[in-house]
Amino acid sequence: MRVLVVEDEQDLADAIARGLRREGYAVDVSHAGDDALVKASTYPYDLICLDLNLPRLDGREVCRRIRGADRRDGLSQPRILMLSARSGLDDRVDGLDDGADDYLVKPFELSELAARVRALLRRPGEAADGRLSVGALELDPARHVATFGGELLNLTPKEFSLLRYFMSRPGAALSEFDLLTHVWDENANPLTRTVRVTVMTLRRKLAAAGGRAQPVETVPGVGYRLRDEA
Amino acid sequence: MTLGVPAWSRSARVRLTVLYSTLLFALAALVVGGLYLGLSLSLRDEPLSQGAAIRATVPVNDGGDQVERTFVEAAAFERQVNEHTLRNLRRFSIGALLGLFGISLALGWVIAGRVLAPIARITTVAQEIQASQLSRRIGLRGPDDELRRLADTFDSMLERLDEAFASQRRFVADASHELRTPLAIIQTNLELALSETETPDGSRDEAAVVIDRALRRMTRLTDDLLALARLESPEMVHEPFPARELVEESRAEFASVAAARAIELDAIAPERLELDGDREALRRALANLLDNALRHTPTGSKVTISVQAAAAGILLEVTDEGPGLDAAEQEKVFERFWRADGARGRNGGGSGLGLAIVKRIAEAHGGSVSISSNPGEGATFALELPVRQMPLRGTG
Repeated sequence: MRVLVVEDEQDLADAIARGLRREGYAVDVSHAGDDALVKASTYPYDLICLDLNLPRLDGREVCRRIRGADRRDGLSQPRILMLSARSGLDDRVDGLDDGADDYLVKPFELSELAARVRALLRRPGEAADGRLSVGALELDPARHVATFGGELLNLTPKEFSLLRYFMSRPGAALSEFDLLTHVWDENANPLTRTVRVTVMTLRRKLAAAGGRAQPVETVPGVGYRLRDEA
Repeated sequence: MTLGVPAWSRSARVRLTVLYSTLLFALAALVVGGLYLGLSLSLRDEPLSQGAAIRATVPVNDGGDQVERTFVEAAAFERQVNEHTLRNLRRFSIGALLGLFGISLALGWVIAGRVLAPIARITTVAQEIQASQLSRRIGLRGPDDELRRLADTFDSMLERLDEAFASQRRFVADASHELRTPLAIIQTNLELALSETETPDGSRDEAAVVIDRALRRMTRLTDDLLALARLESPEMVHEPFPARELVEESRAEFASVAAARAIELDAIAPERLELDGDREALRRALANLLDNALRHTPTGSKVTISVQAAAAGILLEVTDEGPGLDAAEQEKVFERFWRADGARGRNGGGSGLGLAIVKRIAEAHGGSVSISSNPGEGATFALELPVRQMPLRGTG
């Protein structure tokens, strides 16, 4: 799951990014409206945390332009969570009318922000607390715990994010590029073998747990797939 | 107090009705009384005949019957007729007067009600209005009379109140907005620092630095908000003092800040130039201008303070060599909480109130503050104070 944090206060942006990375999201940060717009049209963000008060292009305009943009390039519309220090009813109504999916007033607790992000990224049919389950695999993003056949998996944050992304799309063939753009943030170097290496370590840990059949299989010429009935 | 006065008499409508009816009754009574008096006098003065009175019993020979007739004195008869007429007149007059009083009470009640209707409307609207919805107006129509003017005055007063409340609300909204951001920074960073049990070394220190920065910002903002609030109350002391002292004080105050960034801080202040105003407030205004200039001017450049006599009074100028401002930015620079794009975020530091405070101080002294700047060529902030320029005699 890839998230863009747009906030002109660097100290706040850094804290939000750290908090969300800890939850296993790939997080990019932007400090200005125009820059945010460029990033939003470049990367396939699943969610954008958008501050309203931004230099050069304000948050509401950014929101309208993202919502108004023609997504011909195959990028799906991101969920938008507005962050603002303006708490008035009108501000909240305007924000939602501009196309935001949710509105959070500053100051907020990171745990609430994380819960709202989880709620916004929840897919239809998914458990309310965001828990994912595919075959013998279970993953609880709120508690940051993943198990395979009841056995606890000791995963790094990146492996956890990767597994979560696989589990949110069971049975789908995902290319390395898909994984890179959704699980890694913009600091990842696409020329390294970081995706392949992480998939490898994840598979090794899955294999070590319980001795069941490997749930992550290679799709020749395309990439990887998590077996539905894993 | 209105002791013993019945409740109904406290209505202007009742009082007006009774007053007019009573006056009408009194006037009518006067007219009728006059007529009656005049008539009765003239009737007594002019008996119709003064002829001889005959009083006799005359036997009338009429077919053998003898009828006895009484002859009344003509004068007495006339008097009797007159008295009878006067008595009738009196009775009808009193009846008419009472009827008139009744009708005038009824008509007066209706008319007073109509005249006083606008007042009832004003009262209703005033009762409905609360501080939260001052947008209500009476909007009285009709002739341009006293009541309409009263209603219009009331409306314009509401208009001013509405504006004042709206600007107050905006200020509170802006101020809370500005306070929430550092609060959010503190809260999120504390939460991160406290929840990470096995934090990498230095991560907590980093959080502490960030929180410290946010706290300083809140402190500065609170100070500035209080300063701005204090400026609203008219507690300015006006006293003459040498302009040079002010400039030198301010230069000394900012010397270390300037030196730390190798900025040359120049002061041009001729002697014998006096400022007239609140010394503390003017010191703050100059300090805010200097703070602003030092924040925007690049390392190793120059900031100049100059004081000079101008046509309208004294001109206090602070010039920097910073990035300057374009025309659109110049318009907004004195607004509360406005900050140039580059001045936001981590290194901005300003509360966004500094120049708004300068403007308030200038206005409180009957002066003005202006900016002249071109993008890329620095900026000059000019504080113009309409004070008398006095040569200092006998001193220095």
